[in-house]
Amino acid sequence: MVTHPTGSVTARPDGPLVATHPSSCWQCNAETAPELFCSACDAIKPLPAQVDYFDVMGLPRRLALDEEALRARYYQLSRRLHPDRYQTSPERARAASLVNTAVLNRAYRTLRDPVERGLYWLTVHGESISRNNKQVPPELAELVFDIQEKLQELRAVRGAEAAADLRRDLEAEQGVLLTRRGALMQRLQDTFVAWDTGARPAEALLRELKQILSEIAYVRTLSRDMARELEH
Amino acid sequence: MEDRIFGIDLGTTNSLIAYSEGGTPRVITDPETGEALLPSVVSFPGPDEILVGAPARALAVEHSLETIASVKRFMGLGMEHVTVADRERYAFVDVAAGVVRFQIHGRTYTPPEISAHILKALKHRAETVLGEPVRRVVITVPAYFNDSQRQATRDAGRLAGLEVLRLVNEPTAASLAYGLDKRNQGHIAVYDLGGGTFDISILKLHEGIFEVLATNGDTRLGGDDMDRCVAAWLLEAAPAGMRRDPDVLGQATAAAEGAKIRLTDVEETAVAITVDGARVERPLTRVQFEALVLPIVERTLGPCRQALRDAGLTAADLDEVVLVGGSTRVPLVRRRVQEIFGRVPHTELNPEEVVALGAAVQAGVLSGGHRDMLLLDVVPLSLGIETVGGVMERIVERNTTIPVTARQMFTTFVDNQTAVDFHVLQGERELAKDNRSLARFKLRGIQPQPAGLPRIEVTFIIDANGILNVTAIDQRTGREQSVDVKPSYGLADEDVERMLEESFDHAEADVDARLLIEARNDADALLRATHKTLREASVTPAERDVIETAVRDLEAACDGTDHNRIRELTEALDKVTTPLAHRIMDASIQEALQSRRIEEVG
Repeated sequence: MVTHPTGSVTARPDGPLVATHPSSCWQCNAETAPELFCSACDAIKPLPAQVDYFDVMGLPRRLALDEEALRARYYQLSRRLHPDRYQTSPERARAASLVNTAVLNRAYRTLRDPVERGLYWLTVHGESISRNNKQVPPELAELVFDIQEKLQELRAVRGAEAAADLRRDLEAEQGVLLTRRGALMQRLQDTFVAWDTGARPAEALLRELKQILSEIAYVRTLSRDMARELEH
Repeated sequence: MEDRIFGIDLGTTNSLIAYSEGGTPRVITDPETGEALLPSVVSFPGPDEILVGAPARALAVEHSLETIASVKRFMGLGMEHVTVADRERYAFVDVAAGVVRFQIHGRTYTPPEISAHILKALKHRAETVLGEPVRRVVITVPAYFNDSQRQATRDAGRLAGLEVLRLVNEPTAASLAYGLDKRNQGHIAVYDLGGGTFDISILKLHEGIFEVLATNGDTRLGGDDMDRCVAAWLLEAAPAGMRRDPDVLGQATAAAEGAKIRLTDVEETAVAITVDGARVERPLTRVQFEALVLPIVERTLGPCRQALRDAGLTAADLDEVVLVGGSTRVPLVRRRVQEIFGRVPHTELNPEEVVALGAAVQAGVLSGGHRDMLLLDVVPLSLGIETVGGVMERIVERNTTIPVTARQMFTTFVDNQTAVDFHVLQGERELAKDNRSLARFKLRGIQPQPAGLPRIEVTFIIDANGILNVTAIDQRTGREQSVDVKPSYGLADEDVERMLEESFDHAEADVDARLLIEARNDADALLRATHKTLREASVTPAERDVIETAVRDLEAACDGTDHNRIRELTEALDKVTTPLAHRIMDASIQEALQSRRIEEVG
C-alpha cells in the first residue's frame, strides 16, 4: 500500500450543476424531481448534492435580488428545514433535514453577498476566477506599486519614528482603495441589472463580470494585507 | 410520553441542570442545600472514593493532587497544551503528546471521564428532585470550543449514561433565555466571561429567529485567571520557598477568589492565608485589584472588536448588550464592556444561571415546544485541510451558519496507490502547524489504478452541534469509500466504549464508595457528640462501660470499608447514648429555667 501526504485536486462548494433526475420519496415512494419536500406526501426529502441555489431558495434567477426578501425566505425555510424541528422524527427525516439545511445555508451565504453571488454566476456559466488574485488590474498599477513600496519601507523601519509618516500615508491609501471598492461594487450592481433586463449580450456581460470580480478580489486581498501590516 | 429533555450548563467553575415546564425554564436546586450551582470539582480521596461538588472542593487543599477543579480547561486538549502551571498543580500521565490524562491513585483519567462524574451528579440531583429518569440532555459549550473540545463534551455525556441530543453554544443559550420574555428585535451582543472561558457572540433577533452573525473568544480565559493573578500578588508576601507549594497555592487561589467576590460590593478587603503556621495577609483595594486584573479584562476586547467586524457591524448598530457568566459581576468588566459597546449592559437574569435556563429553553424547542423560536448558530473557527507545503486550505470559513457541508476531491499521486491520507485542521492561521489539528483521515481500499485517475469525493459535514462528520464516495463506482478517523486529541469510539464498560464494572464500586463516605461522616458526627457528652454529663460507671465499648467498636468499623457495619454500629451507639442525651437536654433546660427564675426574681 502506498500512501501520499495530503493533496487534493479541486475545492468547490456544493456545485452549480443542476440535478434533474427524479428520485423517489423515502416515505411514499413517489418519483418526483429534486425538491425540499415531497410534493406527494410533504415529507422532507434530501436534496441531491448539486442543486441550483436560486431553486433552493425558490427565487427567480435574478442577479439584482432583493436582499431583504432573500433573508425572509431564508428564515421561512429554516423554520421548516432545521434539524431542531426533526429531533423526534424518523431517522430518514432527520438525515434529510441535515442535508437540506446545509444546502440552504450554503445557498443563502452565497446569494446574500453580491461578490459571492457574482462568482457563483460565473461558475454556473462555466467560468471562474482565482479568488486569490495576484494579477494587478492595469488601472490600479500605479497605486499598487506605491503601496507595495511603502509597505516594504514600513517593514524596514518598523518601530522607528519614520514609521508614523508611512502609516499615515498608507492609511490614506487604504481610504483610496475603499472608495475604489465602492465604485467596483456599484459597477457590479449595474452589471447585475443589465443581465436581468437583457440589456446587453450575455457574453459581453460575463466578460465584464469576470473583470469586475477579479478587480474586487484583488482590492480585497490588498486591503487585507495592508490592514494586517498596519496592525503590527 | 417521551422523557423530558434536560438542559445542562457544564461550566468551568460551576455546573447546573435545568428543565422546562409549561414553557418556563427552571434550574433544579440541590434538595439538601438549596444550591443551584454544583461546583465543577471532582475528588478522589481514596482509591475507590469519588466526591463531586462542594464536598470535593472542601478536599482541594488536603488532597490537592487527587482533586480536579476546572477540568473543562483540559477538555479536547493534548498533553502538549498542558502548561507548566498545570503540571505543578496536577499529576499527569508522563507522555509528550496525545489526549490529556490525569494520574490519580495509580489510575488514569481523561477529562471527559472527570466531567462525566459532574454530569452524573447533576443527573442524580434532577432524578431525586423530580422523581423521573434523566436520559436525554442538551449540554452547553463555549461558542469558541473547537471540534475536539465539543467531541470531548459529547463523550463526557455518553460516559455519564446520557444521550446528548445537542450541544448549544453558551452565549446563544443565554440569548434564548433573554429573548424568551422580552420579544426583542435587532442586534444583540452577548459577552460571556465565565470561570475559564470567554465568548462574545453577535446575534440578530427577528420574530423568534436567533441568528448568530459572528462569534469569537478564548477558551482559556476567565475568572480563574483573575484568581491566579491575585494569588501570585498575595504570595509575593509569602516566603519564596513556599510559593509553589500546592497547598499554599490552593489556599492563595481560594483566598483570591473570595477577595474578588467581596470587592464587587466593598472598596477594600484583606486577603489572608496561613503558611507554615504563620499568617500571610495583604490588604487589597478595588483600585489595586482592578490594576492587577486589567490585562485579563483587556484580552477580551480584541475578540469583541473582531466579532463586530465579522458581523459587518459597529458598536452603534447594537440594540442590546447582555452579560453572562459569574466573572461579569466584577465592576471593571461591566465598565469596560459598557465602554467598548457604548451601551449599558443587561444584567436582569442571574449571570450564573442564564446559560442553564437557555439550555432548558433549547431542550423545549427540541421536544417540539416553543415552535416560534429557532436558533441559527455558526461554526466559530475555519475548517481546512493541510495541503502540500504545510499550508491550510480553508474549506469552511468561520462564522458560517451550521449545519454546513463542503466537498473536496482527492486522488492518488503514485500508480496503484490504494490509500490517501488527509489532515483536517481548525483555526485562522495560514500554516497548518499554527492551527489546531482535529484528526487525520485515511481513505482506504482505493482500486489500484494509474496515479491521478481515482476520484474520491469527500464530504465534510459540520452538524448542528458544530461537530465534523466525514463521508467519502468513489466517483467512479459511486460506492461509499471507507474512511478511518484518528482524532488528534480525542477519544476514538472504541475508547469511549471501553470506558463505558469499565464504568459499569465500577458502577457498584462508585455507589459503595459514596455510601461508605456518608456512613463514615455520620459515624464521625456521632462519635464527636458522644465524646463531648462523656466529658460533660454525669454517667454511672456501668453506663460509661457500655458506651465506651460501643465507641471502640464503631471506631474500628470506620477504619474498614464495610458501610453496612458502620451503619449498624452507629445505630447501636446512638441507642446507648440516647438516654444520656436526654438527661443532658433535661439538665440544660432546667438550667435555663433556673437562670430565668433568678433573673425574674432579681
